[in-house]
Amino acid sequence: MAMSVTEEVGRQISAIKFGILSPSDIRKMSVVEIETADTYDEDGVPIPGGLMDGRLGTLEPRQRCRTCGNTAATCPGHFGHIELAVPVVHVGFAKIIHELLTVTCRDCGRILLPDEKIQEFKEQMEAYRESSGEIPKTFFEHVKREAKKNPDCPHCGRPQYPIQYLKPTTFQESLETGGSITLEAAQIRTRLERIPDEDLRLLGYDPTSARPEWMVLQVLPVPPVYVRPSITLESGIRSEDDLTHKLVDIVRINQRLRECIESGAPTLIKEELSELLQYHVTTYLDNETSGIPPSRHRSGRALKTLSQRLKGKEGRFRMNLSGKRVDFSARTVISPDPNLNVDEVGVPIEVAKKLTIPEKVTAWNLEEMKELVKNGPENYPGAVYVIRPDGRRVRLEFVAERQKIAEDLKPGFIVERHLKDGDIAIFNRQPSLHRMSIIAHRVRVLPFKTFRLHLAVCLPYNADFDGDEMNLHIPQTEEAQAEARLLMQVQNQIVSPRYGAPIIGATRDFLTASYLLTRNDTFLTKSEVGRLLAEMDYDGEIPPPIRSHPEPLWSGKQIFSLLLPKDFNFIGKASICKHRHTTLDEECPVDGIVEVRDGVLRRGIIDRNSIGAERPDSLYHRIVKEYGSAFAQDFLNKLCRILNSFINMRGFSYAIDELEIPKEAEEKIGAILEEAEGSTRRLIEAYRLGALQRVPGKSLEESLDLHIMNELSKARERCDRIAESCFGMDNQGAIMTRVGARGTALNIGHMTACLGQQHVRGSRIPLGYRGRTLSHFDWGDQSPSARGFIKSSFHKGLSLTEFFFHAMGGREGLVDTAVRTQQSGYMQRRLIHALGFLKVEYDGTVRDTDGNIVQFKYGEDGVDPAKSDHGKAVNVQRLVDRIKGRGTRGKPITPESLEEELKAFEDRLPPLLIEELRSTILSAQLSSSAAKAVIDKAVEEYEIAQVEPGEASGIVAAQSIGEPGTQMTLRVFHFAGVREMDVTIGLPRLIEIVDARRRPSRPIMTIRLDEEHRKDREKALRIAQDMVHTKVKDLMKTAQYSVNLEENSVWVELDEEAMKARGITYEQLMEAIQIPRTSVSIEGGILKIKSQDIMEEGGLRKLGTRVVNCYVKGIPGINRTQVVWEDGEDYKGWFIQTDGSNLAKVIQIPGVDPSKTYTNDLYEIQEVLGIEAARNAIIKEAKEVFEGTGGGMDVDIRHIMLVADIMTQTGELRQIGRHGVSGEKTSTLAKAAFEITVPNIVKASASGDIDELKGVTENIIVGQDMPIGTGLVDIYMSPSGMMAPSDEKSEEIG
Amino acid sequence: MSERKRFNVLEHNLVPEHKLLTKEEADEVLRKYRVKPYQLPKIKASDPAAQAIGAKPGDIVMVVRKSSRAGIAYAYRYVTE
Repeated sequence: MAMSVTEEVGRQISAIKFGILSPSDIRKMSVVEIETADTYDEDGVPIPGGLMDGRLGTLEPRQRCRTCGNTAATCPGHFGHIELAVPVVHVGFAKIIHELLTVTCRDCGRILLPDEKIQEFKEQMEAYRESSGEIPKTFFEHVKREAKKNPDCPHCGRPQYPIQYLKPTTFQESLETGGSITLEAAQIRTRLERIPDEDLRLLGYDPTSARPEWMVLQVLPVPPVYVRPSITLESGIRSEDDLTHKLVDIVRINQRLRECIESGAPTLIKEELSELLQYHVTTYLDNETSGIPPSRHRSGRALKTLSQRLKGKEGRFRMNLSGKRVDFSARTVISPDPNLNVDEVGVPIEVAKKLTIPEKVTAWNLEEMKELVKNGPENYPGAVYVIRPDGRRVRLEFVAERQKIAEDLKPGFIVERHLKDGDIAIFNRQPSLHRMSIIAHRVRVLPFKTFRLHLAVCLPYNADFDGDEMNLHIPQTEEAQAEARLLMQVQNQIVSPRYGAPIIGATRDFLTASYLLTRNDTFLTKSEVGRLLAEMDYDGEIPPPIRSHPEPLWSGKQIFSLLLPKDFNFIGKASICKHRHTTLDEECPVDGIVEVRDGVLRRGIIDRNSIGAERPDSLYHRIVKEYGSAFAQDFLNKLCRILNSFINMRGFSYAIDELEIPKEAEEKIGAILEEAEGSTRRLIEAYRLGALQRVPGKSLEESLDLHIMNELSKARERCDRIAESCFGMDNQGAIMTRVGARGTALNIGHMTACLGQQHVRGSRIPLGYRGRTLSHFDWGDQSPSARGFIKSSFHKGLSLTEFFFHAMGGREGLVDTAVRTQQSGYMQRRLIHALGFLKVEYDGTVRDTDGNIVQFKYGEDGVDPAKSDHGKAVNVQRLVDRIKGRGTRGKPITPESLEEELKAFEDRLPPLLIEELRSTILSAQLSSSAAKAVIDKAVEEYEIAQVEPGEASGIVAAQSIGEPGTQMTLRVFHFAGVREMDVTIGLPRLIEIVDARRRPSRPIMTIRLDEEHRKDREKALRIAQDMVHTKVKDLMKTAQYSVNLEENSVWVELDEEAMKARGITYEQLMEAIQIPRTSVSIEGGILKIKSQDIMEEGGLRKLGTRVVNCYVKGIPGINRTQVVWEDGEDYKGWFIQTDGSNLAKVIQIPGVDPSKTYTNDLYEIQEVLGIEAARNAIIKEAKEVFEGTGGGMDVDIRHIMLVADIMTQTGELRQIGRHGVSGEKTSTLAKAAFEITVPNIVKASASGDIDELKGVTENIIVGQDMPIGTGLVDIYMSPSGMMAPSDEKSEEIG
Repeated sequence: MSERKRFNVLEHNLVPEHKLLTKEEADEVLRKYRVKPYQLPKIKASDPAAQAIGAKPGDIVMVVRKSSRAGIAYAYRYVTE
């Protein structure tokens, strides 16, 4: 039997070269010259020589192309051309033309550089090519700058005149006589023609693919009709494409101009027409050119011409090239189904009948396939197409006798059959922020119309069921299916590469159920146990019942234990346990210590901390790591099934009366609120009297707000605690929050105790222009209730004003979410474009597409976070415990022999791991054989955890940073810190970091002091005081100085308090004012500067301005300081925190410890401490964003490191975005797909760039496999192996 | 302000150890990673840390980083103008 190889030999595009079409190229590729400005005649037939000429291709379905004879479906389309009556400047190149005109001679065309200089530059170019492989952009800039300097041509000696470029397409040359003339396009063209090829190369242009004179158009190509199809409306009216409209204009004006020229019309008319032609050609190319009005449609809509077709989100690049429409996909609403397996997706029958899989007919499935063909497309399990070995497709829908086709079926045929259970499908929910947004599931064909999925996979998809829709894709080839099965299935996605812990785990009601099941007072009867165990297909032995009277009863813990592997050991804490345990051996009042020994749950409640998602080092995480993800998936499946049926048996609901709290508690809450109101009254009183303590850096009003908010939030927290204490574990709401199933204690507090302060822009509800929040209050009322404090709870109900304030706060929340998604979405896009092309090479380095090294070892230890254990390759402690548990007794290994053992692995393991092994093994007192076992296992695990070559480490990093960005709150309030400095945190700060912004929005320094000064607060304060940048105006009591004409002096009233706060004495101040011919004195708190010259008022005012701007002391940039106590490991003592930053100056101050002084201004660090320090600073700052307030995000440091490394790769900080990393990419297509589409393409064609299609984006654009991950490898199979004699029943290759 | 010696940036907590490689060592690095010098990450000759060790364009600097993942990690930077 002959095997037919249907796979086509892949044709690869290896590179794309950009260039400019020469007039002769255009004529050569043209099939027709367009001379008529019309499209169709009255009968709707294209006019020959018109814009719809049949030779350009045909739009009618059954007509044949007049050039190639193909029908519309197969004809590729053919270009025509227009001979322009006069040359016309191409707008895109206008800037380049101007540049060329200014750097070359107007007479001889040579570059305006003497021969020696040319030689010198040529050598430099050669040197660059040698040393860096490419010539930096700055070099050409430099050449051009040099050339511009010459007033005369060094070659022919003729004088040069400056040429002015008037946007968009006019060039004016100054004349000797003064004045200027406009250069005609024809003149420009002849000048450009004269530039020799050699000189162009020196300027960075490639004369073979882009002669400059081609930038002035003589011939205009006319695109085929398929590019600008005309559409027939229902009414029968033909409507032309925008491009056709524009071309009509061009042809019309062109014809008129030609006639004028031929008939010798006056120059004025000719000039006017040429200008009009220029306008039309310009708008045809780009209808958004600044300086000219856009060309409009009759209806007034601006036309969408060539540039507009490419640009932007809806443009060709982003809409059609970077993202493509696909077949074999479906989309519908999703709904939950706990009866499904985690790795399954429920597909409606209707969908299953439309989506097909091509299956080869073999001897083994022949009968089955026949059956499917007989059923046809209408009946479920059926088939839609049959493909014969000769390639003919039979559409079963149109076949009368399917029976006959079925009979004809033979091995070698392909049947495109309906989807059936067990097929592989790729499931996806947008926005696809990380790789777990696309997971492969096994198909389960089900009735009804929604896709169904298991609840455990909602978290990675971020899906809920309030109307969400999802997409399903069916991989068609065996190769694609195998890849999906092996790499994309649910079990392969359990561990998130973002933090190396499970992202798929039990959620919501599963956790509630798990708590209820594993509670000590849960007992199950025999029939209940039977039901639960049947649910998980348990066929092992049932443990003896825990009680036998009055009937045999089993505990929930026993049932849970049956799920665990027999050799599993674990000890940890449950979520419900808030108890502060000193050791895990201690008894817990709420049964919060989870202990599993030999696969039996001895004690402890199983809740979110044990089986939930996003919890590192949980029981579930241990199972994933130690028993593999396939086992873990099965475990989760069975667990969820048991829990589901258990909670169905028991029932669970949260009733409204469970929100009621006892009277005493209510009274207590009332008292607390009253007390808080009292203290706010006192604060307001103090504010009125002016006795309120001001918060540094804040106005008095802001300080009041801050103090009140602090007071009230403390009160609300106390209320919450009281409410919380009212509810025990018999309250369903409390169960849910404490177990981690849903909600927080805060939510319960809101429902039962008190809603608390509502915020707008981080502060209390503002008084507004009219001085009050609502007309229910007095003017200027500062009381809590008038400024948005809600005393009621949701259960009690809100008063009218409270309701309104709540709505105000709620609205802000909505706006915040909307703004945040946009911001983080854009950040994500930039990260993906900046990092997308990075991959791990076979030598473990991370490199870009040009082979430049970004990291020498991925993540510094080469460990893949997705294969790591919460970031670490090996969990040494766990490993030691496990091996110790096996009970190999013996004399503890001596440090010396351990050293010996470890030495052998010095170059295989990272130093940190060796160190950890050493200390853990020694403290565990392992025997020497056990120690050896531990080390061997550690090496094995470490090597397994290494990243695989080809891994798209850049994309993973970008996703791992971008995805949590969406979850971060935009604005975070912090009340605890009345004293703290305001720092930008959360998403805005993260964006600031990846933007590599020149100056952070809130520069802050942490200044550590030397031994002497850190111990003494007074000394620290003095340094801090001296640092504050002070001018005379900072010490003024009034806003203005005054002028005293009588005494001929300027008076400045001094603010004694400010003087004291900044530690400035009169003497210092007087010394600081050094203005010649003046005398300075201070009398009665007034600084007087007397001028020795008699001056008018104006002169004195000038002097006054000079005085107030006099520098007194401090460091520029430092606005405010604060002395804070730090009690850290490597620093103990006072340090200074500043608002404002100036690292270079601060580290020179005596008393400062420069080595521990720090700023959050990345550029300052780069300038003062260098690029490596900047790299560390990026890592440190980004880490703080994720870990700090408003963050709480778990992100592996390797991802942050990769971002820092690419930002500092060139030795200078580069932004993640078009002005940095993305803008410096070598690929033109990748740059065009990112942001500045048209200029990038124009630039590439002028310099004749070649895109080698090595990156990811480029290959997606041209529709090829990308050279990353599985796209990097090919499968080769030798035909001799395939044709081997079939008598051997060896493994068949599917 | 004072006659204190200029602060040596290499002493700063954020600055890892920089080491100038000899010609042989540099060649060894290039051979190990099979790269041209310009394919390495770069450091400017004007970079404070590069100046502190007296690196000139064309040199290769070894950076010994304290790594939270591996303990010690080595990186190399090619000195450019």
